[in-house]
Amino acid sequence: MHVARSFEYNLHLELAISELEKKGIARDGIAAIIMDSRVEERKILDTIHRADGISSFDTAAITGTFGMLMGAIYGFVLYWGPVIWGIIGLLVGFTLGLMGDLLLTRVFKKKKEVDKKTGTAKGPSPQVFLIVECDRDQEGMVKGILWDNLALGVGTLPGNHK
Amino acid sequence: MENKQPESIRNKRRPIGLVTDITVNFFHLRNPWVTAAWSALFPGFGFIKLGSYIKGFLLVAWEFLINSEAHINMAIMYSFQGQFDLARAVLDVRWTLLYLAVWVFSIWGSYALTVDLNKMAILGLRENSTMVPVSIGALDIGFLDKRHPWMAVGLSMMSPGLGHLYTHRIPTSFFLLIMTIATVYYSHLLEAIEYSFLGAFSLATGILDPQWLMFIPSLYGFAVHDSYVNTVEYNILFEQEQARFLRDNYQSPHFSSSLLTPPKGEA
Repeated sequence: MHVARSFEYNLHLELAISELEKKGIARDGIAAIIMDSRVEERKILDTIHRADGISSFDTAAITGTFGMLMGAIYGFVLYWGPVIWGIIGLLVGFTLGLMGDLLLTRVFKKKKEVDKKTGTAKGPSPQVFLIVECDRDQEGMVKGILWDNLALGVGTLPGNHK
Repeated sequence: MENKQPESIRNKRRPIGLVTDITVNFFHLRNPWVTAAWSALFPGFGFIKLGSYIKGFLLVAWEFLINSEAHINMAIMYSFQGQFDLARAVLDVRWTLLYLAVWVFSIWGSYALTVDLNKMAILGLRENSTMVPVSIGALDIGFLDKRHPWMAVGLSMMSPGLGHLYTHRIPTSFFLLIMTIATVYYSHLLEAIEYSFLGAFSLATGILDPQWLMFIPSLYGFAVHDSYVNTVEYNILFEQEQARFLRDNYQSPHFSSSLLTPPKGEA
């Protein structure tokens, strides 16, 4: 029978595999399918598991820094002083940079549409799919190991008895 | 005669990155204009971003020395305030011209280096080079792992350098921590913050040293941005490395062909 499990990339994945091997599952009985996402939707903010490398944070950080500098400079001749104006400059610069970047992105880069019927690329999608071949009496053990190591989901396919 | 390179050499020729005990240095695609912009804000920062530490540290040290001696920051401040006579007067002519060539070099140099390193990044990826994800040394331990980008941002906002400590980019971290202490101390920033929040704005303005204060925005912005980008790219690197490991070891051609065979009696 086969136990299948979906997973994000992380160290728990390798911990799970090594534990399965230690408990007697043959290396050839474990298969990993690397999932490629079909639709890459550009995210404004990256998270630990999803990042596209092009970040609106780039422009915002630079304009925010510049705004902070300008705020500090003019703060020396304004009533609230360089500290408060520096903070104001940072916020204004960061916001303007972020908005400008998003606006330019919308104008110049065609946003790829997400297929609403299949729902591809919406919500967290598994990145690695692990299939473990085992006997019926090993099923509980295999499932336990997979769940204990932060699997996103575990399923079984009865198949032929080995 | 066949001269095919063995796999072991191919893998080393175009590396993706190197995990060492004090930092993980690696190639990834970057926008050269972003690197150039950081170099413009603070010469050397573009190089530090790229992992070109020696060049970066040299340029930053140079910036501190010449900017402080020539009073470039003061002149910039007076110019933006429209007090051009003061700007002219504050510059020390004995040092000022030294600034220009190196400033321009640092912008152009980091732009050009980014373009070159982007080629390295693409080649390394296409060559599917292996890398060892852990390095344990006598003094520290470096390894690839998933980390939270916003944790790095939060730490960097509290104190520039902490975010890099979190992602284990020790050289940048060490440097930023020292720079932060020096600039905060000499600019009297903390006293000014105290006065500002108590509402004593004229006291705050009076105590600040603009020459030193103007280093801080670039330092702060750089720390936050760089630690964020690093965390994101480290996570991507982790995924690439792990995917390669899985492909190499867990996609056996001997894996059961019975997967799609229906169980007996149900066919």
